[in-house]
Amino acid sequence: MFPRLIMESFLRQRRRKLLAALAILLGTTAVTAMLAIGTSVGDKMNRELAAYGANIVVYPAADTLDVQVDGINIRPATAGSYLKEADLVKIKNIFWRNNITDISPELPLTVTVRTANATQQVPATGYWFHHALRSGDASWTMGAPALHPWWKLQGSWPSSGGNAIPNEIAVGSDLARQLHLHLGDTLEVQNQPERVAGIVSTGDATDHTLLVPLALAQAWMGRPGVVRRVYVSALTKPEDALARKDPDKLSPKMHDRWYCSPYANSIAYQIEETLPHTRAEQIRRIAQGESTILSRISGLMLLVALAALLAAALAVAASMTTAIVERRQEIGLMRALGATRNTIAGLFFTEITLLALGGGLLGYLLGSLLAGRIGEQVFGSSIAFNPMLLPATLLLAVVVSLAGSAPSVWQAMKMEPATILREDA
Amino acid sequence: MSVAATRPETIIELRDATREYRGHAGTVRALDSISLSVSRGEWLAIMGPSGSGKSTLVNLLGCLDRVDAGSVRIAGKDINTLSRKELDQFRAETVGFIFQQFHLIPYLSALENIMLAQYFHSMTDRKEAMAALERVGLGDRAGHLPSELSGGEQQRVCIARALINQPPVLLADEPTGNLDAANQQIVTGLLRSLNQLGHTILMVTHDPEMAQMADRIVELHHGRIVAEREASLAPHTS
Repeated sequence: MFPRLIMESFLRQRRRKLLAALAILLGTTAVTAMLAIGTSVGDKMNRELAAYGANIVVYPAADTLDVQVDGINIRPATAGSYLKEADLVKIKNIFWRNNITDISPELPLTVTVRTANATQQVPATGYWFHHALRSGDASWTMGAPALHPWWKLQGSWPSSGGNAIPNEIAVGSDLARQLHLHLGDTLEVQNQPERVAGIVSTGDATDHTLLVPLALAQAWMGRPGVVRRVYVSALTKPEDALARKDPDKLSPKMHDRWYCSPYANSIAYQIEETLPHTRAEQIRRIAQGESTILSRISGLMLLVALAALLAAALAVAASMTTAIVERRQEIGLMRALGATRNTIAGLFFTEITLLALGGGLLGYLLGSLLAGRIGEQVFGSSIAFNPMLLPATLLLAVVVSLAGSAPSVWQAMKMEPATILREDA
Repeated sequence: MSVAATRPETIIELRDATREYRGHAGTVRALDSISLSVSRGEWLAIMGPSGSGKSTLVNLLGCLDRVDAGSVRIAGKDINTLSRKELDQFRAETVGFIFQQFHLIPYLSALENIMLAQYFHSMTDRKEAMAALERVGLGDRAGHLPSELSGGEQQRVCIARALINQPPVLLADEPTGNLDAANQQIVTGLLRSLNQLGHTILMVTHDPEMAQMADRIVELHHGRIVAEREASLAPHTS
């Protein structure tokens, strides 16, 4: 009899049930979409922020970072220690190797440039441009262009020259203007003719420098196989309280947790482990910005989700209030026939729970689709269905629906059959 | 011979039963120290003008309400001592309701409306419900919705529902108030046969002719019993 009463209730008052289900559906759609985006926004954001440069810098432990004034390295080129270029592949062998998206070594130096008009000292930096990094069977293309996607290039990046010393360079746009250089021109650098393969506009001090293949910079310095510093771009987890702890002061269990979380700090720590005598540091500006943006986005999404749930609860409350008023006679009769208050509450709560499960399931599907669309529009890649969100969404739908209908059901429980049944008399 | 006469056991007993309603305009005493006994198997008609306290008395006798003062004992139990849950169960077991408006659930068939009373009492039994329907002459209308039944047929379904749990007390509130003459006769006949089978019937009516079918008539006025007499058309007097 109970299932029959529930079924008939669904068949009747269809419009009201539909409205309540629609409210639940909209609420859970918003919640699912927000949760789906919320759980994957960290990764998406990391990929987005990867476009704004590296988040870890590696340099020799015995060294201090280069001193730069207005982008010009004022350290003597020969001063300090160096890292071995051949060791850089080890960075792709750390625990979080799959999170390393780019490695860009740099070797800054000052060179003598002779043009038709003048001879002058200019800053230059050796880079990987499209360097094939290999480890076993795996191979990755890495270098400065991938790390600085906003750099605008006319022409092409200098070729690495294979096994020979390369004879192509790129010139920063300001320097090219100053030296009246154009694509294809040849200039003499360190007494060697070099062809201008590309002119680069970076929007920063790099525009005043020569950008040369790393091998060429090493040859000019007479230090083959060395680099001054390495910029690493890694997919990281936004910084939280644990990320900021000193790993050496953590308990073994917490240390494991810290180590196995892809914080920029823990990745830097692992790089130091794999490259002895180096310092790897998080570039805090980006990581902190990411953390702030993420917490703001999460806050905004939480607000939207709460508003959607509140709206759903109010709609359910309104729908249930009307439904219960319309069914007063039925409630009065059932009470007169011996139904307890709990039986009446059970009847309505079962109805609303089924409605919430149905609406919640549809809301989950729609919300997942919506999240996918938002992912495509905002982040350029879809957000996959997350089955883990289904129980959470259904639970939320049920809790919100029960909470929304509770005041009306409470009123139904308090209805006095004597009063209701005499209303028509 | 009257069942009441052969079975003098008291099934309902009101002692100084008082019920007051508090509203904005003050307190209204709907029942004022009423004392009344009903024997098992007796058919009692309750009459009185509007506002005389009939509805309040019916609510008390139907275990739908409680007294403010005095006591109401039904089948040996003081209903004021029962918890709300116990009272719900006691009502389902002790009282069968026959309403003037029938109060059938519109989306359930005649048979299901009877089974609903079984469900709230204990458990459903389709065969038993069908037998109750046949007993009121509606065996062939089991699958019909209330909207497909005439007023008289609906009232007979209501009577079958009231009987299904075999309650010792039947509470009929204007049972023929919404019926035409022919259906009135059918329903009256049914009530009479139920009374002869030993059911105690408490019937509220405005209809003096209908009241004469009872064993005894009680008249209320301003919440008090103003007259109490034996009915002239009761079977034992005929």
